[in-house]
Amino acid sequence: MNPQPVGLALVRASHQLTNLAPVDILILALYFGVVIFVGFYVKGSTNTSEEFFLAGREMTAWIAGLSFVSANLGSLELMGWAGSAYQYGILATHWYWIGAIPAMLFLGIVMMPFYYISKTHSVPGYLQLRFGEGARGLSAASFAGMTILMSGVNMYAMAVVMRTVLGWNMTVSIWVGAATVAVYVMLGGLRSAIINEVLQFVLIWAGAALIPILGLIEAGGWTNLKAQIAINVGSTQYTHMWSTLGNFKDNPMGVNWVGIVFGLGAIISMGYWTTDFLVVQRVLSANNLRAAKMAPVIGAAFKMAVPLIVILPGLLALGLITNGHPAYHLVPADIAKHTGQNSYDQVLPLMLIRYCGPGLLGLGITALVAGFMSGMAGNVSAFSTVWTYDLYGAYINKKAADKHYVFMGRLSTVVGMLISIATAYLVMNAASIMDYVQALFSFFIAPLFGTVILGMLWKRATNWGGFLGLLAGTASSIGMFIYTSTGSVEHKAHALARIALSPYAQPQAENIFRALWSWLICVTVTVVVSLVTKGKTDEELNGLVYGATVIPHDGATTLWQKPIFWAGVVSVVFIALNIIFF
Amino acid sequence: MAEGTGRGEMLSIWFFVGVMTLAYGLVLFPYGAWEWFGGHEAATVLNRLHPTFWWGLMLTIFGLFYVLRFRPRRGDKFRA
Repeated sequence: MNPQPVGLALVRASHQLTNLAPVDILILALYFGVVIFVGFYVKGSTNTSEEFFLAGREMTAWIAGLSFVSANLGSLELMGWAGSAYQYGILATHWYWIGAIPAMLFLGIVMMPFYYISKTHSVPGYLQLRFGEGARGLSAASFAGMTILMSGVNMYAMAVVMRTVLGWNMTVSIWVGAATVAVYVMLGGLRSAIINEVLQFVLIWAGAALIPILGLIEAGGWTNLKAQIAINVGSTQYTHMWSTLGNFKDNPMGVNWVGIVFGLGAIISMGYWTTDFLVVQRVLSANNLRAAKMAPVIGAAFKMAVPLIVILPGLLALGLITNGHPAYHLVPADIAKHTGQNSYDQVLPLMLIRYCGPGLLGLGITALVAGFMSGMAGNVSAFSTVWTYDLYGAYINKKAADKHYVFMGRLSTVVGMLISIATAYLVMNAASIMDYVQALFSFFIAPLFGTVILGMLWKRATNWGGFLGLLAGTASSIGMFIYTSTGSVEHKAHALARIALSPYAQPQAENIFRALWSWLICVTVTVVVSLVTKGKTDEELNGLVYGATVIPHDGATTLWQKPIFWAGVVSVVFIALNIIFF
Repeated sequence: MAEGTGRGEMLSIWFFVGVMTLAYGLVLFPYGAWEWFGGHEAATVLNRLHPTFWWGLMLTIFGLFYVLRFRPRRGDKFRA
């Protein structure tokens, strides 16, 4: 999983890092031309609500899988985690491996059958079928609000990056990016967003893969790089994933293995990858049950490779040496703001500039722009679906014709983009809002996972149990956030130590342990309330819960066609990678 | 069949992938050749390896393969 790392705060540097040559502009213009063309091209295939919101449920496993992983590969996250790799070392890889792979496989093999056979249009839609209107309303309203704010943050981040790297005017970046995304999503709906996500996935690799290749050549290979990092930072902690996690104080991130395994691996990542509709929507577009199960497995296989283009550049910046000294000295964003130095978040553009001249630089910048725009498109297409199905269609206009809902989907796309633009300007004038918007997602994800997983696996969970559990988990997460982020410096340190159970814990640990506690509170309240309220019959739960559902065969006839086989292959590679980098 | 773009369409999503990468290859490959053989190499680290030329060549081959493999054929519209 990878909501943004704690502390990601883009800096508007006083100097721009580079300029684009005409050949770079040509490459960027080609990308804009292709995405606008795609929007117009698929418009004819988005006439019904099923086509507009779920791409007609006709995507193959490969397309849905690449789109699934790409929807999470936004530039804000790429730059943020590359910066985290510089700051924390290889530990940042946990957010790509244990913080993603088990959850993606769990979604494909265990949860997808229920999302798919219930024929729900959205995650809030599943909650309505399983727990009734209360849980759906709470989840839909919070998701719609957060999604559109996040789209605005993406927009602002793109404008900052373009200004910092290229000196572009922020208003021009915001409006050009927003208008392009609005046009292609309004015309082609989810189908258009998915096609562009697949293109973006290819583009990101085409634009960024040269950095690790040339970086490793310059460093003299992985073994030499590790040795250089140890010399530059004076410690070997930065290149081990597990051996330093015995205690909070033994690693640069200030976390321990309990937090990584249970907080990150079992709760945050499960919550994000299995209940965040932004990513689940991509899999719901699959053309049959087997494709729906295979898509997250394919996504997981590609996800395992992403650290090559995100984490490795951060490590290279940490280990490279120029004239006998470390090649880079990056600082936290709040210091960079005052000193004019480069901040952690700028590590990816800096590495791009180091190795890529005209042409390749344009390709890398285009990949970043594509990542930002894809992030906005993903948010706005998920927003328009949840708004139309779970808010407008559920509470405002229940019996409109299908055409009207398609119209509402297109309209809400445009309105959503306008709200995003307003959010971007709001963040521009008060940058601290960005931190809060990023934190908002963490309030809902962990408790929502508790509600959905109990709903799918426990027949006895009741409507009241689901609703009150979700409410209690969310409220407790917000409460803990306020507790740890307000008051004096001493109070914050004390609060963090309490939440993370250690005086050596650092901010990243707060995020992880808050998720763990809020999930436990959600599950406890759901179980207790369910046991004292009336449950549903097996008939009512058919198609929604294990034990009350006969899951149809997915059509696989050979071993090679079975999603469980490929999930096993991905699991073996995942375990091997963790052992290699232990 | 045109995967991903809708029933009745002729251009597959993979065809778009091919067109885009081929276009980038056809821009980068000659530009990289001009840099290398014309002595205009940019002042980047490891520019002696001519990354623009080789990366452009790789994108051209990749794009060409996808364009040819997923090019629209007569009758696709009716099979889709």
